[in-house]
Amino acid sequence: MIFCNHCKVYIRDGKTICPLCGNILSDNDNDVKGEEIYPDIPLTYNRHMVIRILVFISIVAIVVSYTVYKMVPVDVNWPGLVLLGLVSIWLSLTNILRKRHNITKSIMWQVIIVSVLTVFWDWRIGWRGWSLDYAIPILCIAAMLVMYITAKVMKLSAREYISYFLLGGLFGIVPILFILFDLVNMSIPSVISVAASIVFLSAIIIFHGDSIKAELQKRMHI
Amino acid sequence: MNNPKKVEWSKLDNASKYFPATCDERDPKVFRIACELFEDVEPEILQQALDITIEQFPSYKSVLRRGIFWYYYESSDIRPTVKREEKPVCAPIYRKYEKNLLFRVFYNNKRINIEVFHALSDGTGALWFMMTLLYHYLLIKHKDAFLDKKPELNYNASISQKKDDSFSRYYQGRHYKKQAKVKKEKKNARKVYLIRGSRLEENRIKVIEGTMSAKAVLDEAHKFNTTLTVFLSALLLLSIYKDMPVRKRGNTLVLAVPINLRQFFESETSSNFFSIMNIPYTFDEGNTELKDVIGKLNESFRKELTEERLYQHLHRLMSFERNPFARIAPLPLKNLSIRGVNAVADRGVTTSISNLGKIHVPPEFDSYIRQFSVVPNVRRPQMAICTYGDRLVINFASPFRETEIQRFFFESLANMGIKIEIASN
Repeated sequence: MIFCNHCKVYIRDGKTICPLCGNILSDNDNDVKGEEIYPDIPLTYNRHMVIRILVFISIVAIVVSYTVYKMVPVDVNWPGLVLLGLVSIWLSLTNILRKRHNITKSIMWQVIIVSVLTVFWDWRIGWRGWSLDYAIPILCIAAMLVMYITAKVMKLSAREYISYFLLGGLFGIVPILFILFDLVNMSIPSVISVAASIVFLSAIIIFHGDSIKAELQKRMHI
Repeated sequence: MNNPKKVEWSKLDNASKYFPATCDERDPKVFRIACELFEDVEPEILQQALDITIEQFPSYKSVLRRGIFWYYYESSDIRPTVKREEKPVCAPIYRKYEKNLLFRVFYNNKRINIEVFHALSDGTGALWFMMTLLYHYLLIKHKDAFLDKKPELNYNASISQKKDDSFSRYYQGRHYKKQAKVKKEKKNARKVYLIRGSRLEENRIKVIEGTMSAKAVLDEAHKFNTTLTVFLSALLLLSIYKDMPVRKRGNTLVLAVPINLRQFFESETSSNFFSIMNIPYTFDEGNTELKDVIGKLNESFRKELTEERLYQHLHRLMSFERNPFARIAPLPLKNLSIRGVNAVADRGVTTSISNLGKIHVPPEFDSYIRQFSVVPNVRRPQMAICTYGDRLVINFASPFRETEIQRFFFESLANMGIKIEIASN
């Protein structure tokens, strides 16, 4: 073992610099070669490089569009749409990335985020009602289908998806409010969504009632 | 639709609730226990041993999930695998959206290491896991040596004993406080000194492991009529004092010492069962001698380690968890308030020392095991100690690049004529 004359200690693991005082160790009676005890782990750089590049591109796009708009004014506020578009993409993307380990949960959150965004978009570009007429009901139906298919394809166990199925089904019933309060011009997608949700909900409650109960107990324990 | 398997889940014990709320990249609440053998570790055998051990510790098979009001453990069928050491010391284990086991087992040359997320277990609990793993490893590796006489594992708790939530077992209910006369502690008027430094990249930690003769250090401690923990605590405080800027030397140093409650309340649990006592010390004119520090610490330790004080600690910890308003607060809100309370509490602690004590293995294993070593979870520069045979291992872990305090500490031991072997990452 090498002896550090400054700190009066022996260095076990064959380092050339004393970890305590930082001085270079001289090879005094170096008969026993030190052995690595804590391995040297290299630093991991550039872990989120892709994300960084995307953030940078987004900011450049917004700045450029506002600059062009200032120089060449037109009637439509198109840089606002660019901004809104990018915000929408980022909201969606961060949610997917954060919840990527729980696919059904991720889908559920997507439905909520995208629904809110479509209403917002619809409102910003002069309320034509397409968000409530088509977008949200179709989204709900699609979500239920996609959740069912992923659960089957990925062979998820019931407890992993059941609470999100339940939420998805409940969310799909919401369009009934659109019909009741007469918010929609075109009611067929809403009707289909509500009908599909009721069928979906009854199926999971009848076939997976026990799982739902167990899941709720687990997640809601006080 | 296929029939779902019955879900097994369990609540977190009192101390465990604190860790998922407060862990982050800077302080992942992970600690390590290492065992160094005299020969290189064989990964295949270690894997076999792990496969047996995991069945004896069902709580180690669980993953941590988030409910609406509380976290909970859920059993999983993830099989833990033995890897070569390839991550920085005490790298994060629990990540919010991932379902992973809460510990890892890996090896490097002669060392078997386990790293544990603190919500799963405390040092003593993890040590029992390590002993069991080691037992099976050595038994497979050296089959022939143990043919006639199989060594006896000295930890034989039943599964339900291992899973026991000892905090709630010894909680005396909400009315305890009314009976016990609660002395309001004198509020410490002086500022608490916090060690500053430059952080290492990637929030890594600097570990300096000093190995020495337990007998030599104990002899020194006995010269002052004190215990190993108090002796080393005093040295630690003195080392910090030497490193303090002069203008801050009037500040109080607060030493946090985890107490293994299993010593005081009967329990064989392999999950958390500890409490922390905070010992303040102020260096005024004329009490910078080791003798003075030890004298004062001796007194503080004695005062804190009474049954009454321990019950008070336990009560304080439990009453928050049992508070009806706290219980119905949704988890994100709870996390936020725990983090807030924790941030304030953190500003009141300078350093910490935790002594895992003497590690006993069956005597037949003596010729295979060189030493044990414990790396604490690092929030600030702090120390963990364990003894095996005559080998006392002091691990000084710090999130900072500076090593002045460490140098003062080991130097003062060396100046007493103790031979110290240093290893570091």
